[in-house]
Amino acid sequence: MNTFLIILCKDLMIEWRTRARFASMLIFGVLVVVIFYFAVGVTVSEQKTHFIPGLLWMAILFASMIGLNRSFALEMENDAISGLALAPTDRGFIFLGKASSTAILLFSNAVLISTCFSMGFGLSLLNIIWPYLGTCALASIGIATLGTLFSGMTVRTSHQEILLPILLLPLLVPVLLGAVGATTSLLIEQETSEKSLRLLVVSDAVYLVLSFLTFEFVLEE
Amino acid sequence: MIWLRTTGWLSALLVPAYLFSVYQAPVDAIQGVAQKILYVHVPCAFAAYLGFLLTAIFGAFYLATNKRHHDHLAAAAAEVGVLFCGLVIVSGPIWAKATWGHWWSWDLRLTLTLLLFLIYVAYLLLREFTGDSERAARFSAVYGIAGLFVIPINYFAIDLAGGRTMHPENLKGDSLGSGMTLPFLLGVATAFSVFFYLWAKRVSLRVAHARLEARKRS
Repeated sequence: MNTFLIILCKDLMIEWRTRARFASMLIFGVLVVVIFYFAVGVTVSEQKTHFIPGLLWMAILFASMIGLNRSFALEMENDAISGLALAPTDRGFIFLGKASSTAILLFSNAVLISTCFSMGFGLSLLNIIWPYLGTCALASIGIATLGTLFSGMTVRTSHQEILLPILLLPLLVPVLLGAVGATTSLLIEQETSEKSLRLLVVSDAVYLVLSFLTFEFVLEE
Repeated sequence: MIWLRTTGWLSALLVPAYLFSVYQAPVDAIQGVAQKILYVHVPCAFAAYLGFLLTAIFGAFYLATNKRHHDHLAAAAAEVGVLFCGLVIVSGPIWAKATWGHWWSWDLRLTLTLLLFLIYVAYLLLREFTGDSERAARFSAVYGIAGLFVIPINYFAIDLAGGRTMHPENLKGDSLGSGMTLPFLLGVATAFSVFFYLWAKRVSLRVAHARLEARKRS
């Protein structure tokens, strides 16, 4: 448990001091919102509302790729990753610490990008704020768990920036489907979609257990 | 070698028998000759699932035992699985064009099959881009196990969608008409036999390549 808290606090503290990942993810997310605004059309009609949740979650997902690419980059400096690998502790808790800090980062970005989206496209998120934040939290956990595992792999390959999205995006489809389904249901029907939430929860659980158990093989030298 | 020879001879016997049975099979009254693509499409899908399942199983064995041979089995199964999945994605749209009038629809089953194909292509890319072979084996084993999650979702996609899909339902006992069961079963047997032959061939090539690399290093 100590390992988990130490890694979590370390990553959050580094991120708080530099804000490099957070800033680049946020700027990228806002840029995507602007480009979508031009691509979708200047006015948002009734028909377009149905695919706005999909665009929103695409923006959040692509911004998350930026943050996940940098997740282990700091550990590569001064060979700190070897220090992590040699630490006399359960590697699963190292993974939990890194994934949790990444999930917090992704969640805060998702909230800010959603705010920009709601302002740009005239969406009303305030009356569905708590269920929507719950959806963002669940989706962030799913993206962060698998993203941290694969980021740990790809950081030691020759084409890290290309390989991480190629590995991650297909496996994040269940999380994306759940998030988009839940958001669509909240925006259009003003109610929670149980099927979408179940898909999110099951995906998160499967990916969390898988990543916790297999992270030690990723960290090995 | 015995495995390679056995599956090679079995495939050589089964392929002509299968082709003959497909030729002799009755033509469907509604779909016409296009219905015969079923005898290729479904067996290839089963072979692809088998390939990806074996990739995950031998990947898990490799992580548990650290034996190089398990990695060779996993990687070879992924390669052959990707080949068969590619055949599924090619044969399906040919049938779809003849029956639905268009090559592709973003139906859940079709989309998940494409996703499965992309996942295991990514597996092969991961192996290619990871320089160190032992590290490539470990990383791809983890990724192969992660990809397994999509297979049951793909197989039960039609049930999960409550039957509201364009893709035909999974075959059950009485799904096939009279005279169609034999070519279908021969198709499955041939696909599996060809799968095992190609798998054995790829494993022997990988082992030979590994021995050559070891000799170069020493």
